[in-house]
Amino acid sequence: MGRKILLIEDDRETASYLTKGLNQEGHSVEQATNGQDGLFRATDGSFDLIILDRMLPVLDGLSVLKALRAARIDTPVLILSALASVGDRIEGLECGSDDYLVKPFSFAELLARVNALLRRRESRVDPSEHRLSVGDLEIDPLSRTVRRGGKKLDLKPREYLLLEYFARNEGRVVTRTMLLEQVWDYHFDPGTNVIDVHVSRLRRKLDEGFEKPLLHTVRGAGYMLAA
Amino acid sequence: MPTTLRIALLAGLLALLSNLAVIGFIYFRTHDEAVVTVHQQVLEQAKVLTDVYRSGGKPALDDAIGDTMTYGDPQTVIALIAPRGGELMGNLETRPATVLPRQEGYRNTLIRLRGQTTPREAALVIHRLPTGNWLVSGRIAGEGFAIRDTLERSLLIALVVAALLGLFCGLILANYVGQRIGDIATVADRIGARDLSRRVPLSGAGDAFDRLGEQINAMLDRITGLMEELRLLTDSLAHDLRSPVSRLRSAAHAAAEAEDPSEQEELLGSVIRQADALMRILTAVLEISRSEALTGRKQFNWFDVGELAAELAEMYDPLAEEKGARLEFDRPTRPVPLFGHRQLLAQAVSNLIENAIRYGASGGEIRVRVHPGERRIRIEVGDRGPGIPANRRAEARRRFGRLDSSRSDEGAGLGLALAESIAHLHEGRLMLDDNRPGLLTMLELPVHAQQARAA
Repeated sequence: MGRKILLIEDDRETASYLTKGLNQEGHSVEQATNGQDGLFRATDGSFDLIILDRMLPVLDGLSVLKALRAARIDTPVLILSALASVGDRIEGLECGSDDYLVKPFSFAELLARVNALLRRRESRVDPSEHRLSVGDLEIDPLSRTVRRGGKKLDLKPREYLLLEYFARNEGRVVTRTMLLEQVWDYHFDPGTNVIDVHVSRLRRKLDEGFEKPLLHTVRGAGYMLAA
Repeated sequence: MPTTLRIALLAGLLALLSNLAVIGFIYFRTHDEAVVTVHQQVLEQAKVLTDVYRSGGKPALDDAIGDTMTYGDPQTVIALIAPRGGELMGNLETRPATVLPRQEGYRNTLIRLRGQTTPREAALVIHRLPTGNWLVSGRIAGEGFAIRDTLERSLLIALVVAALLGLFCGLILANYVGQRIGDIATVADRIGARDLSRRVPLSGAGDAFDRLGEQINAMLDRITGLMEELRLLTDSLAHDLRSPVSRLRSAAHAAAEAEDPSEQEELLGSVIRQADALMRILTAVLEISRSEALTGRKQFNWFDVGELAAELAEMYDPLAEEKGARLEFDRPTRPVPLFGHRQLLAQAVSNLIENAIRYGASGGEIRVRVHPGERRIRIEVGDRGPGIPANRRAEARRRFGRLDSSRSDEGAGLGLALAESIAHLHEGRLMLDDNRPGLLTMLELPVHAQQARAA
């Protein structure tokens, strides 16, 4: 279960906090404190994930990322940055990162994203070919039909996308921001609980009338779909 | 060399040059061909006479003088004069002793011909013969000769005077310009010394200096306004951060004091929520200043505004319903393409919708519309809530301009300000209007010529 993660971060405090947390989750963490060193270590391609700070000495994060992608190293990259504007986030994603997390962040948020990225690397098959199932829930991505306990659920298109995303991250915490980014493709932070309202609607359709709930709220972090 | 002196010299030089041109013109007009002809005739005649003298001596000269007097034209002047004055022969009246100075050479002068009373202007060549006698030959010229002579002298004087006057005027001009520019420079100096209260004094003449001064003053007013705005923003940012920070602090304090673990967990959750709210405020402030600085234009792309609004309406529909309002979306009949920042516009529109839900849900209906226009696209969000009276709308769109400051809900009062700055990024504007009843917020975005071409 443990994975190799390269952490390129020059702030000692953040680095040790992250290393400790990720070690507790069973991952091994190698650390680089400047962009050049980080790029050097990353080029052997042996890591499962790279966590990259954007502002680094010697070589900045985006340059490291561009160099990696130019060298055809496709290790998933999660950018950490204090640059929080929508434009900064878009720029980071356009440079070839797989995710972008704004500082300060909660460790739960980081962990959720790290797990989602590691998971994506694990299942590199065409996702639409597979039927997804979680407990007695079955999802057919081709026809976009959902059944629970054999009974067809009537979902709106967005509710379906939401559920499919949950199902692809089965057993892992999914945060509100991840949902907004992945399901709606918006990168701003809404000032309302709009995501929660959607999730609770989905939950009503999914879990009402069933003894065992599938969609769980993880306090202080987000949600999780698990049997 | 000081600027004043340089300007003075330049003005003097220009005056001199233009005077030279005028004087030269006068000179050439008066010193015309006739004058040149007379001059040459006189010289030739004198040469012939001296040649006669050289080859034939005095008798030949006497003959020639006699011939000239007999047969020559009446305008001819010819005379042989003794060394001490006193005419030996010829038609020149020498008594009273004429002004003829005993000097060789060509000259224009007044003389009297024998038997005439009025002196006349003549061009003469005076030549001293080896015997000591003076040979005078020449022609009576027109009246103009003397005048011309005087004129030439006068022109020379005029030239000198003009040069001096030019320099003098130049000095006055330079002094004037220097003073006017000095006024402006003084103000610029004060600005350099961080005093923005000074203004350029205006002469009221409405000249170029006044215009320059007016522009500088207008610029200073604008800068002062912006600085004032910035100061207000910083002040209100500091002020508005006080309440969330103090809430955060008291929540953290309470969590530290709490003894029951579940209560403590609850309080810590609140600490995190307060911190998140703070982060949201800071991000919004950052986003506003980014948009106002027009960064982010390189992330512009084509997208369908109708589609975007539809997505957002769908996204907020459940939230509106939960707050007791119906969210209606009037889908435009055809795509509404716009070249812009999709993510930021999504945020702007979502701010308007969130605003409507937060303050206008009580009205029961929220309506989102997209008006595709030839030249501008308008995105409207209308609610049926209490609305904002016309005289308080400016306040509502200001950063941190929350109208009911006693409310401590999630709204940081940045929603409308952010929407407005995003409109500015797209060269558009945010408008607030009466929805009769309720509040109508509109984002008006121009469809530019460049966009039209790209389409």
